[in-house]
Amino acid sequence: MPLLPKKKVGIVACSGEELPEGTVSRVAALKVLEELRPDDTVTICLPLFLAGGEGDRAFARFYPTVAIDGCEKRCAARATEMYSGKPAASIVVTDVAAENGLGPIRGSRRLNDAGIRAAELVAQEVVRLVDELLGRTAQAVGKAIAEEPTPEASEEEEETVTLCSCGSGIPVQKVTVNGRVVTLIALPAIFEQFYQNGKRPGDGTTRELLEMTRIYNPIPREEEAAYAEALAREYEKFCRKRATG
Amino acid sequence: MSEKVVVIPCSGIGKTFGTVSREAAYAVVEDLRPDRTQLVALSLLVLGDEEARAAVAGHPTITIDGCRLACATKMVQESGLPVARSFTVLDAFRKHRDLKPEGISALNPEGQQLACALAKEIAEAIDALQEEA
Repeated sequence: MPLLPKKKVGIVACSGEELPEGTVSRVAALKVLEELRPDDTVTICLPLFLAGGEGDRAFARFYPTVAIDGCEKRCAARATEMYSGKPAASIVVTDVAAENGLGPIRGSRRLNDAGIRAAELVAQEVVRLVDELLGRTAQAVGKAIAEEPTPEASEEEEETVTLCSCGSGIPVQKVTVNGRVVTLIALPAIFEQFYQNGKRPGDGTTRELLEMTRIYNPIPREEEAAYAEALAREYEKFCRKRATG
Repeated sequence: MSEKVVVIPCSGIGKTFGTVSREAAYAVVEDLRPDRTQLVALSLLVLGDEEARAAVAGHPTITIDGCRLACATKMVQESGLPVARSFTVLDAFRKHRDLKPEGISALNPEGQQLACALAKEIAEAIDALQEEA
């Protein structure tokens, strides 16, 4: 398996501006990300996620996410499920406020005391879930995830090789297959691993690349040949770049 | 002058500029043009919430994006709704390079000033849109 970044939990907050509970979701998420579990969590930017941010979507496909929503419309949880996979856990601010008997939450821009308390309670719940998720799933995912960070993309690769903008570090690469551009998750890490293992371009390597890439990306059977051709071409380019430094 | 203008910030949570977009939106709808504007959450709109779509339909819409990825503008357009004017914090920052915004959960004073400067620019655009209407 290629080396992928250390396992973390993605936090998706709805951040709804028009409701105070939306602000609570944002404040709670940032409290976890900045203060309580900065090394174990990454933010998944909901607008970027909705707009097709591959890095953020890739992260949510690999790693567990906790969705924090202001209200029952659950935009963050629904978006995560729609584009990546069901969140490992979902918290709704109005539920937390009701369970704890908090007074009315007011102040979308500046939260009142009940809002501040709600943010603290939600943040505590997220921390509990993060700890549980990292402990519970570490063994299952552990084999595929090493503790070493993936090397950053070089400037030459910048246009096609990217890392998650939220900082999670999942590498993705854009490749042209049958005339259309597709984004392949983990491909830069796969190439790097093959190169380090001394595998040079050739039919056997291409077959192995196809199988490894398939683990992380859906490859339709009818397009296998086109994907193989694209992988062979890109890996040859990758090896040339590495050889010339 | 009767038609309300809808304001949709990106509110990106990963970068300071996202928070500036959010603060600028609040400054417009709460301080500068409270009776003539309405905030709509981007995610509600994108996920097809009927109420959010109804709020935007038929009203001039202004988007505020933190960065050049322009998520708010793109997503409103992809939802099949027109964007009357779009602003980015990045452009505002280029006009006010003396202001260095910092912080995501809490903006520093310079970030607040940048949000105010952007909000003033947006308020002028709202006036122009409403005069045109």
